Amino acid sequence: MAQEEPEAGASGPAKVSAWPLFVALGLAVGEVGVVMALYPLAIGGLVLFAGSIAGILTEAGYTERPWRTLTALSGVFVALGLVVVVTRTGTSFGAIESALASTDTIVLRGFSIVGAGIVALAASIAGGSVTDAGPAA
Amino acid sequence: MAGEQLALTVLMGVFLVGVVTLVSRMENLRAYTPLVSGDAGYGDSTATSHKPSGLIRWLTTVDHKDIGILYGIYATIAFVWGGLAVMLMRVELTTPALNVLGGTGTYNGLLTSHGITMLFLFGTPIIAAFSNYFIPLLIGADDMAFPRINGIAFWLLPPAALLIWAGFFLDPLTGGAVGAAETSWTMYTPLSAEQANPGVDLMLLGLHLSGISATMGAINFIVTIFTERSPDVNWANLDIFSWTILTQSALILFAFPLLGSALIMLLLDRNFQTAFFAVDGGSPILWQHLFWFFGHPEVYILVLPPMGLVSWILPKFSGRKLFGYKFVIYSTLAIGVLSFGVWAHHMFSSGIDPRIRASFMAVSLAIAIPSAVKTFNWIATMWNGNIRLTAPMLFCIGFVANFVIGGITGVFLAAIPIDLVLHDTYYVVGHFHWIVMGMIAFAGFGAIYYWFPIVTGKMYQKRLAKMHFWISEIGVAVTFFAMLLLGYLGMPRRYATYEFNGLIAPLAQVTTLHQVATIGAFIIMLGQLIWVWNLTQSYLEGPVVEDEDPWNLKETGQYSREFEWFGEQLDTTDEDTPALAADGSGEPSDD
Ligand code: HEM
Ligand SMILES: [Cu+2]
Repeated sequence: MAQEEPEAGASGPAKVSAWPLFVALGLAVGEVGVVMALYPLAIGGLVLFAGSIAGILTEAGYTERPWRTLTALSGVFVALGLVVVVTRTGTSFGAIESALASTDTIVLRGFSIVGAGIVALAASIAGGSVTDAGPAA
Repeated sequence: MAGEQLALTVLMGVFLVGVVTLVSRMENLRAYTPLVSGDAGYGDSTATSHKPSGLIRWLTTVDHKDIGILYGIYATIAFVWGGLAVMLMRVELTTPALNVLGGTGTYNGLLTSHGITMLFLFGTPIIAAFSNYFIPLLIGADDMAFPRINGIAFWLLPPAALLIWAGFFLDPLTGGAVGAAETSWTMYTPLSAEQANPGVDLMLLGLHLSGISATMGAINFIVTIFTERSPDVNWANLDIFSWTILTQSALILFAFPLLGSALIMLLLDRNFQTAFFAVDGGSPILWQHLFWFFGHPEVYILVLPPMGLVSWILPKFSGRKLFGYKFVIYSTLAIGVLSFGVWAHHMFSSGIDPRIRASFMAVSLAIAIPSAVKTFNWIATMWNGNIRLTAPMLFCIGFVANFVIGGITGVFLAAIPIDLVLHDTYYVVGHFHWIVMGMIAFAGFGAIYYWFPIVTGKMYQKRLAKMHFWISEIGVAVTFFAMLLLGYLGMPRRYATYEFNGLIAPLAQVTTLHQVATIGAFIIMLGQLIWVWNLTQSYLEGPVVEDEDPWNLKETGQYSREFEWFGEQLDTTDEDTPALAADGSGEPSDD
């Protein structure tokens, strides 16, 4: 395996990328997780999705490093998740806080999206400060 | 519940670690050069090109030809699934009583799966297989404009299929708690909003993913055709297939996001307590408007590219240019525009305002005009031509013939008084199957045979291919003509049983016609078995094509760009590896 050979007659560029598969998987798993109220899938899928988007944009040369994209996406997730939560609890901080203990699956699904945002944010902070060596998002 | 979530978390963690490992290995594997110019390509064009081997190649490829092959294999698998589902249904319908399937629920699940699979998991992807492989070759582009987006669009489809079929797999695992969706492909509310089964949510999510995939593909094709053409390809000599893909992509761009939004509204109704389609909230009819505003263009999204394929291939074996090239393009564009103005012909019997209804009837009838333009242009192309009845040509001719019946039955349905009688009978099923099986699948088969040498470097068995055609055509005629007659007798569609009162319909004749339709379905299936056998066997052991013009198109001046490209491939590779997908050893291989 892992034998590389030049492709005859083709125009040159390396026509491989690991990211498309994971962008698709992340989106699929994240969507299923959120809608079906399977929180680990929701968080894992969304994190994978955000990471792969950051990775693919970097690979394609649209951005220099993946971390800013990741930060932006985590912001989107946090905002989106809060919107879902707030539709159920109202905007008072106390109500949101006490909803953390709730069994209302809609609130919990909102929190899972927020959670995905927080994990992605942590990853981007860690990634940005620790490494310029590892390419994985 | 908590234990379940914990297990899922662990699983997810393991999975993510696996992803990180794999991606970092990939990064080492490839000579990767980030892009500096504004070109949205995939790296430095001076670097040597590399393809990893084996499975990794297929999981990571962003080469349009590989992705085309992936789409083709995917569509074939879906075709088999959808076909098997309908065979079970046909067997059930040989007798009026329910005595083969476990219950009517099973029938409904199969019905839903068959429709959605054939339209979204077979129809759209099989077209994408041809367009991904051949559009860049036909317009002289190196690849699609966004190769990575191309990859994402494909990889959304396998999870989409798994979700759409999930109910069938999960039913035994969950003891029936999650079952196959029983909504039919139209997912009419309130039925689809109130069915508690989580299998419906999974199916809606899968459908949503397939819509995202189609939309991404469409954007990619529009940009590719606009910006990546080689300098000598202009709008006046752009090939006819690319024109239909361009039009189709525009339709997708307007129609699919709407379906996506409607699906999200339905999911919100089901899971987040909204009331878009509730009887005492929004309106169940709203769903029908949203769905058919997408749904009618969808049928043209499915049929325009096959029309383009026939317009491309039929002249090759008629020995002359397509008659009225310009008018074929105009008719494509006209159909594209009109198809957004007819959605309510699916709702004539839902009680909408008669004046509005009449205007929808007028526009629906008007679509017959550009459709007829195409038909007459195909006939005129063959007229006095030097016709060679190869398998691709047979499928093209069958396509035109089937369009005559499929199209004319459509015109009848577009007339309100007739529709009010025939609506929701087997007549409708017969109408659209002449088109989806008799045209869309036929054009696909024709194109597969026509381009088989380019993609595999081998030649198929010609006798088997012709048998495939004749058996399929006979099967289509038997099956779907019986359905038209069933419709005239008043047999309603979507029923697992038909033990009705003899005063409503003559039960004996209905039973006979159902049996005829089932026999026809088995004939069709036999044809497809021959097809799968032929392609697999020829791919593995067929004679290697060494002639850059396997169809003798040069003689009649019909030699075109994709075969020129094929000729270049033959020149630059050594003799036994003519095309990219075959290496003579039978592996779907690497170089
Ligand atoms: C000449 C053009 C056409 C006309 C005037 C036409 C007209 C109609 C009408 C009026 C109906 C509704 C019948 C009813 O439910 O009572 C219908 C149904 C249908 N048509 Fe066509 N049609 C045409 C072409 C096509 C094409 C090209 C396709 C497929 C590619 C197609 C696929 C369908 C489908 C799938 C349905 C059934 C939808 C359902 O599940 O209810 N039609 N057609
Ligand atoms: Cu329609």
